[in-house]
Amino acid sequence: MEGFLQALAAGLLIGAVYGLMCVGLGLIFGVMRVINFAHGDFMMLGMYTAFYLFTAAGVQAVFGNTVGPFVAILLAGPVLAVFGYFVHRMLISHVSGTRTASLEGEGHYAQLILTLGIALILQNGGLIVFGSVLASIRTPLSSSAWELGPFFDMSIFLNKARSIDAVVSLAMMILLSLLITRTRIGKSLRAAADNPTAATYMGIDVDRAHRTAFALGCGITAIAGGLLATNYPFHPFVGLEYVIVMYAGVVLGGMGSIIGAFWGGMTIGLVQQMSTLILPTQLQNAAIFAVFLLIIFFRPQGFFGRMVERT
Amino acid sequence: MLRIEGLSAGYSAKPVLNDVSINVGAGQFVAIVGPNGAGKTTLFKTISGIVKPSGGRIAFDGVDLLAVPPPQRAHLGIAHVPEGRQVFPSLTVMENLEMGAMTESGRRDWQANVERIFEWLPVLKERRNQFAGTMSGGQQQMLAIGRGLASSPKLLMLDEPSMGLAPSTADFIFERLIEIRRQSGLTMLLVEQRVAEALESADHGYVLEAGHVVLEGNNDTLRADDRVRKAYLGM
Repeated sequence: MEGFLQALAAGLLIGAVYGLMCVGLGLIFGVMRVINFAHGDFMMLGMYTAFYLFTAAGVQAVFGNTVGPFVAILLAGPVLAVFGYFVHRMLISHVSGTRTASLEGEGHYAQLILTLGIALILQNGGLIVFGSVLASIRTPLSSSAWELGPFFDMSIFLNKARSIDAVVSLAMMILLSLLITRTRIGKSLRAAADNPTAATYMGIDVDRAHRTAFALGCGITAIAGGLLATNYPFHPFVGLEYVIVMYAGVVLGGMGSIIGAFWGGMTIGLVQQMSTLILPTQLQNAAIFAVFLLIIFFRPQGFFGRMVERT
Repeated sequence: MLRIEGLSAGYSAKPVLNDVSINVGAGQFVAIVGPNGAGKTTLFKTISGIVKPSGGRIAFDGVDLLAVPPPQRAHLGIAHVPEGRQVFPSLTVMENLEMGAMTESGRRDWQANVERIFEWLPVLKERRNQFAGTMSGGQQQMLAIGRGLASSPKLLMLDEPSMGLAPSTADFIFERLIEIRRQSGLTMLLVEQRVAEALESADHGYVLEAGHVVLEGNNDTLRADDRVRKAYLGM
C-alpha cells in the first residue's frame, strides 16, 4: 500500500511535467496540423539553454543554487520561443499554412522531411557544440524530500525538486489555458485551427497565428525540458527519448485538443511510475505503450477527441 | 463601392471566371445568380483573396484590392459569409461573433453590434454559450451572418445562405436579411441559386453562366427577360 501511494505520488509529479511537455507539441499540432518531429530536439535545446543560463550566464551567481535553476528554466522558455519563431519564419512556413495549397498531400510530405532534417541538424549540431558528456541542472532540492504523513503509519516522500517542477508545470498550464480560452490571441489561434479559410475572412492572419503557436509550443516544451533536467541528466540525443512519449501523450489526449495533451502526458507519467511496482524498470516504456494501445483500442479518438466535426 | 473590371480567375489550368465585370454601389443590394459551377463562389473567393486572379482589377472604396493581403481585406470593411457557413465548430456562438469582430471597427462597435445582432437573430442570444459545431444548419447560417455583421462591415458578401437548408428555414433567413438591410442600409452582395427570391429582393442583378456575365440589370428587367424566366423562374 505504501509503495502504491509512493508510486502514485511520483507518477502525478512526473506526469504534470510530461503533461506540459506534451502540451507544447499538442499546441503546434492542434493549430497548424504539422507533425513536428524535431520537437524533442527543441526540448533538448531548451535543456541546454537553461543549463548555460544557470551556469555560464550568471543566474547561479545572482539567484543561488536553490532558486537559480528555476529562474534559468523559466528564462529558457522565451529564448526557445524566439528560436521557434525564426525557425517557423525561415523554414516551416514554406511548407505549411496558406502556402500548402499548391503542394502535394497539403505539404505533409515536405513537413515530414523538413522537421526530420531539423531534428538531425539539432542533434548532431548539439553533439558538436555541447559534446557528448551527460549534463544536468543540479539543485540541492534534487536530492532531498518532503515527508507527507504519517497517515495510518504510512509516510510518502516527495522529492522537493520534482514537487516544485510539478507546481511550475501546473502554473504554466493554468496560464496557457487562460491564454487560449480567454484572450483574443488565444481565440484567434483556435479559430485558425478550426477553419483557416474562414479565419482569413475574419481578418485573422493565419500564417502569423501559426507562427505564434509554433513559438509558444517551443517555449512551453523548453520549460518542461528544463524542469525534467533537474532530475534526469541529458545529452544532445535526449530528444529522441522524449519525442515518442510526447506523441503518445498528444494522441492519448486526442489529436488537436490542447488540454487533452496535458492529460495524455499525465497518464503516461502515472503509468510509467506505477509500472515499476510490478515490472522491472527496463520495461517502463513497454508498459507505457501497452497501456497506450489499450486506451486507443477502446477510445481511438483519445480522451478529448473532437466531438464536433471539422468543417 | 465595389468595382470589378475584366476579372479572370481559376484553379491552375482550369479558368473559372472569364472577363467578369460587376459593380456594387454604396447602399445597393446586388444579387448574382446562375447555375452550379458558374463561378459564383470563385468570384467571392477572389474578392477575399483566397483565389488569385489571372487578370482584371478589383477596387473597393477606391482601394486596389488585389494589392491588399487577404487577411487585411476584412479590415477594409468586407465581410464574407462563406458558402457552407464555415462557422468555427469548437468555438462558442459568442466566440464566433468575437472572431467576426477582429476588425478595428468591429472592436469599437462591439457592444452595439452584439445587441443588434441578437435582436435580428434571437436564436444566437439563446444559444450564445453553445459550441457552434453542435448547432443545426439553419442556426449555423444565422451565426455565419451574425459573425459577418459583427465586423461592422461596409459590404456584406453572402454566398448561398440558403444552401442545404429546409425551404422554410431558407425563407426565414431571406426574410431576416431583408429586415437587416431595411434597418441598417448595409450594402449587400448576394450569390444565390434560389433565383426568384434573390431577384425579388435585390436592386440589381447579374446572371453568371460558365464564368461569363450573360445578363445584368435591375430586378424588373431581369425578371422580364425571357431567358431568365425560362431557365430560372420556371415560367
